[in-house]
Amino acid sequence: MAHTGKVVASAKSKTKPVISPAMLPMEGITDVQGVDGTYLQRNDVMFTAMKHTQGEFSDFFRALRDEGKVFGHRCPECRHLIIPPFMRRCPACNFVEMKKEYVNDTGVMVATPVITVFAPSRFKGQEPFGTGRVFLETADGKLSDTAMLVRVRTTRGTIRPGIYKKGTPVKIAFCDSRQGEMLDIFAVPQNELTPQQLAKSPLFESEIEWGRLSEMELDKPTAQLQKTLQEVRVHFQKLAAMIPHSPRATANLANWRRTVTVRTGGGTFGLVVNKGKLQVRKEGVKDPDLVVAVQDPSILLAWLRDSTEPVGDSVKSPALTDLVIEGTVVLNKPELETITRLDRVPRSLRRDNVVVARSPKAKQETPC
Amino acid sequence: MKDVAIVGAGMTPCRSRWVEKTFWELAQMAVSEAVHDAGIHIQEVDAGVAGIYNDIFEFQAIPESGFQGIIGLQNKPLMRVTNGGATGAYAMLAARNMVASGQHDLVLVLGVEKALDCYDFEAESNTPAVVQTIGYSWDPWFERPLGAHASESYAEVIQAYMDEHPGDLAPMARAKIVELLCEQAQNNPYAQRLGEKVTAEQVLHSRYVVYPVRVLETCVYTEGACALIFASSEMALKIKERTGREPIWLTGVGAANEPYFVGNDITRYKVLHRIYSDHVATKKALQMAGITIEDVQVIELHDAFIPQLMITLAEMGVVPLGRANDLVEEGIILPGGKLLVNPSGGLVFGGHFVGGSNMMSTWSAMREMRARNLEHGLIHGTGASLSMYGVAIVLERRA
Ligand SMILES: [Zn+2]
Repeated sequence: MAHTGKVVASAKSKTKPVISPAMLPMEGITDVQGVDGTYLQRNDVMFTAMKHTQGEFSDFFRALRDEGKVFGHRCPECRHLIIPPFMRRCPACNFVEMKKEYVNDTGVMVATPVITVFAPSRFKGQEPFGTGRVFLETADGKLSDTAMLVRVRTTRGTIRPGIYKKGTPVKIAFCDSRQGEMLDIFAVPQNELTPQQLAKSPLFESEIEWGRLSEMELDKPTAQLQKTLQEVRVHFQKLAAMIPHSPRATANLANWRRTVTVRTGGGTFGLVVNKGKLQVRKEGVKDPDLVVAVQDPSILLAWLRDSTEPVGDSVKSPALTDLVIEGTVVLNKPELETITRLDRVPRSLRRDNVVVARSPKAKQETPC
Repeated sequence: MKDVAIVGAGMTPCRSRWVEKTFWELAQMAVSEAVHDAGIHIQEVDAGVAGIYNDIFEFQAIPESGFQGIIGLQNKPLMRVTNGGATGAYAMLAARNMVASGQHDLVLVLGVEKALDCYDFEAESNTPAVVQTIGYSWDPWFERPLGAHASESYAEVIQAYMDEHPGDLAPMARAKIVELLCEQAQNNPYAQRLGEKVTAEQVLHSRYVVYPVRVLETCVYTEGACALIFASSEMALKIKERTGREPIWLTGVGAANEPYFVGNDITRYKVLHRIYSDHVATKKALQMAGITIEDVQVIELHDAFIPQLMITLAEMGVVPLGRANDLVEEGIILPGGKLLVNPSGGLVFGGHFVGGSNMMSTWSAMREMRARNLEHGLIHGTGASLSMYGVAIVLERRA
């Protein structure tokens, strides 16, 4: 067994580092203020790099990568079929050996998937993302007995509530470039696919039409909505003019460059984030990096009013991020960063005293 | 089995970050308080159990190794327990068994945790690094690579429960519980969120952490320590004679961990819309104590998330599954209701120093039982992905 553990062949590997180099601190010891004095804190990392074996799961991940197929393990005695094949022997049958069995790429959601807004360090930039569990159909026309956690996606903008629920029929699709890992696959709702796409196995990411905001067919603009939109433009101008006066707000938008078209029921306008500044365009921008769709522009107006002329300290309008998460505001692709950066601006303006909250009109305090 | 009593308790204040103290000092502060509270000398203690959840938070593997001399247990047994969020409760279980078996008469159980030294230098914020550290608790093959983390995981259970029971866990019921816990925490001198006022209205407007859970419905990250002294009945009565203080008895314990993978059969897999571990653990603990949930007057419950608190109370049998809104709508847990829940403010307002949070719950329940003359209390711990670890401990006062 001289060759055990020796690297035999390398699959194509990603060229980016496992963690962002920006996460690595420089050596140093700094002061930190405590309640009763100054203390020292030392920059450090708990550091262990890995060549982490996939062991008995290697076949499963290879099947994802090389075959575009999912398999589970079936117990010959109790007939339970588990996906992913997380164990080789059935403990319910006193550890009888289970058999490999391919499953279909179609199935149903176990429950409504959840949507991550604030991701762990190593998943930053992927938000918002949905994860949920699927039971997959088996050759005997039943469903697997366990469910597999997968990323859930929609072809219609960012993931948001209402796309999936318990029992939603899904299809597992495969990324075009696969490494042999769970992120090689994801679920899409079957009702977003054509019969041809549904019939194809494996179905690849590039064979799916992405970024359609089809259900955001906006109504014909009414005079009222157009008027509201004009106010939105004015307030965005006002916000944009305040940002250069606030170092914090400028920092919120620093190192970020995006062109955005905002479509509303009252018409369209554009936003450009560049070099720490925000610019407002009367119409949508050409080939925008991001499309934001919202039926009622007064939702944006409420956020803008709270941002540029807040009443008291408490902000009543929901954050833009929350509007995206709830699905009131829809993005054409899963990239939340522009929105979260904009969301930080109002607080920065207040902290830098560019915006001073007006005192509440009447007594609004609620007892705790 | 011998009867076991708690004869002393000591706490540090809960803080989001203790830059002033290392976890060694926090441990010593809590132990010193506990032995003074019990009126004993540390040399009388036979053995110890240390609950520490996560080595990364402490920035040390086998973090308990530094304790031995510091907490005065040199050349005596010290066992470290780590069981996810339920570490504190499991550590108490271990300590209780050491006494109940007759092996030791006096055992110290200590829970301690750091957290906020974790720092994401790219985001210039602690939170993503803390969330990532907890995220390392998921399996490295199937779930962690997808970005699984604590809020997401509990939200899965909450969402699945809501699929099963539409209309339950209503936003207003949840928000009112948050408001209640905030008020109750103001009576806990060690609470992390002393002086805070959170209204139901604010909860309903707070941002999402993971849809459908809002930030004001989640527990906080905390650093701190809590120590308890467990005694055999003979020793407890001796100490009572010495100090005049009444011991609190541990009359029932139950624990259950659900499987990691989700499936369709509750006897073999995790069923996503249940927290079956809480159901099983509570049932066992009540059975052992010879009481029913109706006899319990105070519950200190591990509220990682407010909707999970509601599900857990339903799993315990306080209300039927699907009727958790009744906790608020029928006034069951509101002031004047029949059940006192989390007088400490719970983990949401009191604090959640993972290794010792359940011990803080115990400290609080003991305090309330003595102050309000209550006969039975229940301590609960949960943890791990999908809330799959469950522990329940019945406390009793004896006339
Ligand atoms: Zn079997």
